[in-house]
Parts: sequence; structure tokens; C-alpha cells
Amino acid sequence: MGPFRSTADPDERGDPDLDKLLVLVARGDREAFEAVYDRLAGPVYGLIRKVLRDPAQSEEVAQEVLLEVWRTAARFDPGRGSAAAWALTIAHRRAIDRVRSETAAAERELRSASAQIPVDEVAESVEASLEAEQVRRCLEGLTELQRESITLAYYGGYSYPQVAALLETALGTIKTRIRDGLTRLRDCLGVSW
Amino acid sequence: MRGRRELHALAGAYALDALDGAERERFERHLRRCPACERELRGFAATAAALAMVATAEPPPGLKQRVLTATAVTRQSPPEVAERRVARPAARSAPRSPWVPRIALAVGAAGLAAAAALGVVEVATQHRLDSALAHNQQIAAVLAAPDARLATAPTTAGGTAVVVVSRAQEQLVFTSSGLPPLPAQQVYELWLLGPGTARPAGLLPLPSGGKTAPVLASGVQADDKVGVTVEPAGGTSSPTTTPIVVMTLPV
Repeated sequence: MGPFRSTADPDERGDPDLDKLLVLVARGDREAFEAVYDRLAGPVYGLIRKVLRDPAQSEEVAQEVLLEVWRTAARFDPGRGSAAAWALTIAHRRAIDRVRSETAAAERELRSASAQIPVDEVAESVEASLEAEQVRRCLEGLTELQRESITLAYYGGYSYPQVAALLETALGTIKTRIRDGLTRLRDCLGVSW
Repeated sequence: MRGRRELHALAGAYALDALDGAERERFERHLRRCPACERELRGFAATAAALAMVATAEPPPGLKQRVLTATAVTRQSPPEVAERRVARPAARSAPRSPWVPRIALAVGAAGLAAAAALGVVEVATQHRLDSALAHNQQIAAVLAAPDARLATAPTTAGGTAVVVVSRAQEQLVFTSSGLPPLPAQQVYELWLLGPGTARPAGLLPLPSGGKTAPVLASGVQADDKVGVTVEPAGGTSSPTTTPIVVMTLPV
């Protein structure tokens, strides 16, 4: 299962079942929600932990996000993307909200020196699935600046001005590298949207 | 005023949540009038989701039960019927904490439990029972169960624990008043204590007006007691401190 619809491998397409389950959840179906939980908890928790690092904080935010999926399921519109993309967008937002909150900001100052995220680390916690392999390969296909900008922003939780400062590169350059890199990544992954 | 082209260029950073306040708002205003940007963002959101999938990790064991329990006391938002938003509506339009509805609920249901404790049950609480029903059927079902029994007990930390249990439904509702606030890194955790076992039964929400919102615990067994401990934020799968209260459930 996956959040993106890969044209490369029909078995690895997005998860239409998950989309349907979420529609049931919107009607208050708690059994459907349990199935949604089983599919999304791993990616949601993993992404949040990737950004926040701290396990206790990550669990707290993951709990809020999964409950938000329950609470706001009626806002999910299958016509505008997959259920996984919708939920993971919420998860990333909430993780970033936490990162940008003041207390977390102070802690982050301390470890900004270790901000570099090597490509090797990206798939540390997932079995070598086709999808992970494909994402890694596509990341490797980006220029170094594109890749660093995207991973620092997405996994590192840095704003693009912070990314620019970390990479000692002009703001405008980072802005365009992120966009160009995402476009290239999107085309490489063959996501449909 | 910067040009459209420059705003367009922010789409990537926006998709990665890498814009700060003012710039994000500017981009979102632009987005509402830019179908091409919305299309582009959809592709970027799917791409970002692929990056997220790669980070998949095993969630902590207690999380599932806590989330599923919380759904029982969390009212769902209705669908948006008027004025559909253009981009990523749920993520952007839900700044409220998911705990807010539960805290709002505390006033109704905790008030109800307190009224029951004072013996002012039947007629006086019917109105409040109705509103509790409207907010949350499961909690109200326990409170209104024909076999519902109430117990209160002081805790060693101060304040009072309140439990309403329905044996027939094998469920209980726990609320409290006057528990001392905890530092941010700690929570009160509720337990069902059977012979030689302790089953996590949810985390107490932050108190509002001195009271904690009701927590629903399911799967209550005949010889269970209910207890509360202080645990690190996020809770644990088994108690790590001495309970501040252990209550025998009324029969």
C-alpha cells in the first residue's frame, strides 16, 4: 500500500480501500477506523518521529493526529488526493507545529549542528520495500542541493529560510531548488494526482 | 507587492510546511485564486506522502488502545457543505486541539457525576443528560445505564476521583476534580487493575476548571479495580509509580 499511485508497479498503487474506509469513518464507523489506524499508524508515527526525534513527544503528537483523522474524516475528499496523503499532510503539519513552538525551538537550537540527514538514513526503519527503494533511487536522482533542501525541510522540519542559512545559500535559490526537486521527484515516482 | 511568479515559486516550500506565518498566509490567499497552483500542490502532497511512507516506524504498543478509546469520547466534525476550501482543508482549517471537545464535554458529564454524588439525579439532570447524549452517546449511555453505580475517593495527591461504572456494559467513566496540575512531561494515567494485571485505560486530559474531562474505559471485568498513576508524557503500558488512588468498583 502506498500514498502515491505509482505507474511503475501496478501492485504498489495507492490504496483505494483506505479511501473507502475513511469515507465510512466519516459516518462514525469505529470498526473502519480501527482498520484505518492499522494502516496509517506506522507511517504517521514514523514521520512524526523522524521530524521530532523525541519518542514521547512523537507519540503524543501521533495520538493527536490519529484522533484528528477520526474527528475530521468528513473533510477528506477522495477527488483531491489519496487518504494516506491527506492524513500524512496533517501529520507533518502537526509535527511542524510542535517544532515551531517555542519550547521545542530552544531544544532544537542545541542540535542544529547535527542537522544533516544523509540519504542512507532515510529508510532506516522500513523494510526494503519496493516503494522505499524507489523513493531512495529518486532522491538520489536529484542534485545535491535539491535533495538536501527537501530532506532538511521535510524530515528536518526546517523552514526554507533556515534551510538557506544551514546550506549557506541564497533564499531564492533554496525556494526554487525545493520546487524543482519536488517536481523531479514527483515525475520520478510517477505519482498521479 | 511581489509578483505572481514569485508566489508560484513558494509552492514547493508550502507543500513541505517550510513557510513561516506571514508568507504562508500570503501563499494561501494566492492559492484560492490559482487552480494551477492547487494542481501542482496536489502532486507535491502525494510526493511528500511518499517521503513519509519511507519513514514508517512501529508505533508504541499502548498507542492504539488510547486512540481507539479517545474516539469514543471525541465528537466528529461535520462535513463542510458551504464554501468549499481550495487546498488541504482539514490540515489547515483544524487548528484546535483534538482535546477541546473532550474538555468542553467535561462540564456536562463531570457536572452530572457530581450531581449524582449529591443524590440529585433523576429530574434535575435529565436536561444535562440530554446534552451529554448529544455530545457523546457512549459516555451518556454509561451514566444513564440502569445499573450505573457511582463511587468517589480522595487521592493521595489531593483532589477526588469519581467513577461511574456499568457492569452490564462492562464500561466505566472516570472523572476527577482538584487533582494537582503536573509538569508538562507527566500525565495521569488510568488503569484497570485485575488480579496480578494492570491494563492501561487512557490518559486523563488536562483539567479544565479543576476537573478532568471524562475518560471512558471499556472491558471492565468483575473483579477489576480502577487506579491512577503519574506517568511520563504519552503514558506507559504498565504502571511505573505507586497509584495515587485505587478504587474498588461498586457492585
